[in-house]
Amino acid sequence: MTILGTAFAVVFYLLRAVSGESGYVQNGDLEDAELDTDFSFSCYAQLEVDGSQHSLTCAFDDPEINSTNLEFEICDSLVGVNCMNFNKLQEEKYFIKTKKFLMIGKSKICVKFREENLACKRVEIVHIVKPEAPFDLKVIYRQRANDFEVTFNTSHLQKKYVKKLMHDVAYCHEKDGNNWMHMNITNTRLTLPQRKLQSDAMYEIKVRSIPDSDYYKGFWSDWSPSSHFKTPDSAEEMNPVLLTIGVTSFFSVVLLVILACALWKKRIKPIIWPSLPDHKKTLEQLCKKPEKNFNVSFNPESFLDCQIHKVDDIQSRDEVENFLQDTLSPQLQESEKQGLTGSRPGPNWPSQSPVITTETFKGELPFGRPAGNVSASNASMLPSLWAPGCREGISSGSPVYQDLLLSPGTTDSAMLQPFPHQPGILTLNPDVQGQPILTSLRQNQEEAYVTMSSFYKNQ
Amino acid sequence: MFHVSFRYIFGIPPLILVLLPVTSSNCHLKDKEGKGFENVILISIDELDRMLAIDSNCLKKEPNYFRKHSCGDKKEAAFLNRAAYKLEQFVKMNITVDFELHLLTVSQGTLKLINCTKEETVSKEPKKNDRCFLKTLVQKIKTCWNKILRGR
Repeated sequence: MTILGTAFAVVFYLLRAVSGESGYVQNGDLEDAELDTDFSFSCYAQLEVDGSQHSLTCAFDDPEINSTNLEFEICDSLVGVNCMNFNKLQEEKYFIKTKKFLMIGKSKICVKFREENLACKRVEIVHIVKPEAPFDLKVIYRQRANDFEVTFNTSHLQKKYVKKLMHDVAYCHEKDGNNWMHMNITNTRLTLPQRKLQSDAMYEIKVRSIPDSDYYKGFWSDWSPSSHFKTPDSAEEMNPVLLTIGVTSFFSVVLLVILACALWKKRIKPIIWPSLPDHKKTLEQLCKKPEKNFNVSFNPESFLDCQIHKVDDIQSRDEVENFLQDTLSPQLQESEKQGLTGSRPGPNWPSQSPVITTETFKGELPFGRPAGNVSASNASMLPSLWAPGCREGISSGSPVYQDLLLSPGTTDSAMLQPFPHQPGILTLNPDVQGQPILTSLRQNQEEAYVTMSSFYKNQ
Repeated sequence: MFHVSFRYIFGIPPLILVLLPVTSSNCHLKDKEGKGFENVILISIDELDRMLAIDSNCLKKEPNYFRKHSCGDKKEAAFLNRAAYKLEQFVKMNITVDFELHLLTVSQGTLKLINCTKEETVSKEPKKNDRCFLKTLVQKIKTCWNKILRGR
């Protein structure tokens, strides 16, 4: 029984010594309070931070922790070794710099107190990458483009592993310090339009980076050193030369518009949209309108006091020309000496008589007005060869131009039909004797006569 | 006669049973997307290629090792596994620290991405200064990886 009791006592004592129960505190060992402390920590890695060497930095989440005698250790996913110990820095951080990160698979990072693991965490080094901060941030104002060109540099452009980054560019008005505007870009150049910024203001700008690939992930880098730039004043923006050119152009345009409106009808429109000639209106313009009290009529009754010699047929023109030339040559000399007055009808040669055509009539009536009333069908109808002084002419015995009326049978048809090119000459009425009648051989006169008389007939 | 029949009945079938696992492939690829290869192993292979700048005639003479072990169809993982172990034997060449690191990155990285049920037996060690063999081995590993990724 004694032996049994002794054996139990020895066993109990050995158990206590070996097991190391909690509460048994020795000098230098962890106390109970410390064992309940939360040893949670955070780490970040920086790849190729010093040439080809990588770094890993860890720190406790609770800054109040007494990190005396505490160590960090990393194991697994290392090249050529199983585990590595961290170095302790002054700011309560633990740091390791090495090339031996495999970067494939998970590593185990533990907080150790002597040989005891207080807290462990399994992490992938490639998922806790923190890039280096960008540097050399510059802002250049481009006056022509009215924008600001922002450029910066990053050391990751020359690295082999973490090459793809996302950059966060932040800028703010200095007076409004907390209202930061952010822009995310993947390259190292950015353009800020001037319209997005206030004029005549001072701005602060900075940039940071984060890994942006499928394999490497992590945290934002530290901010780059800030840069400051000032936006130009809006009043200074107006170039005086440009202002002058603008004002001059405006007034020129206004002047052009006014001139265009003023000269539209008279000058511009006829050139752009010429109007088709209207025969009636053209004739009006060419021919002088008769006076108000000028009564014109083609009524044969108004010519009762005139010797009217009806023409029965038309002979060959050539024969008559010769005849007329022989008969008229002495008379022409006479008339040239006498001259031609309005009241004394003399031998009227074609050059002095009203040569009436539908186109060339000048509106001159060398003779006086007829006694009879003339009713014009329209304003375009003008008397052809007048013999106002029929009686005077007859009494004087001088040959006069007579209105030659065609026979009624031919009048209607002559209105629309063009006069023949060789109309010939109209034969004289044998009743009238001793009356040398000069007939117009000219096609235009006959045509005009026919046309004007036909107007009357058609009325 | 009785002893002879015993030899054939009880000798050959066990031999067949023993040899069967040797011929079957028991390796498969864990990194099916090939991200580990593209972002880590390939960088080290290129660095080794740069460091092993040797005569181009070296690649024309293919060692017998590669006639026995090739990156055949459905045997890619097994070949990479075997090649990774072979690569570790060249660590003792003592060229430079960086060279050794890249060598181990390729070897251990490949072994991390391939899962084999059976451990590879280490074959005869090559000559320590056989850089030609090493360069060929590195090229074969790269080619086999590309073959796997192209087929995905």
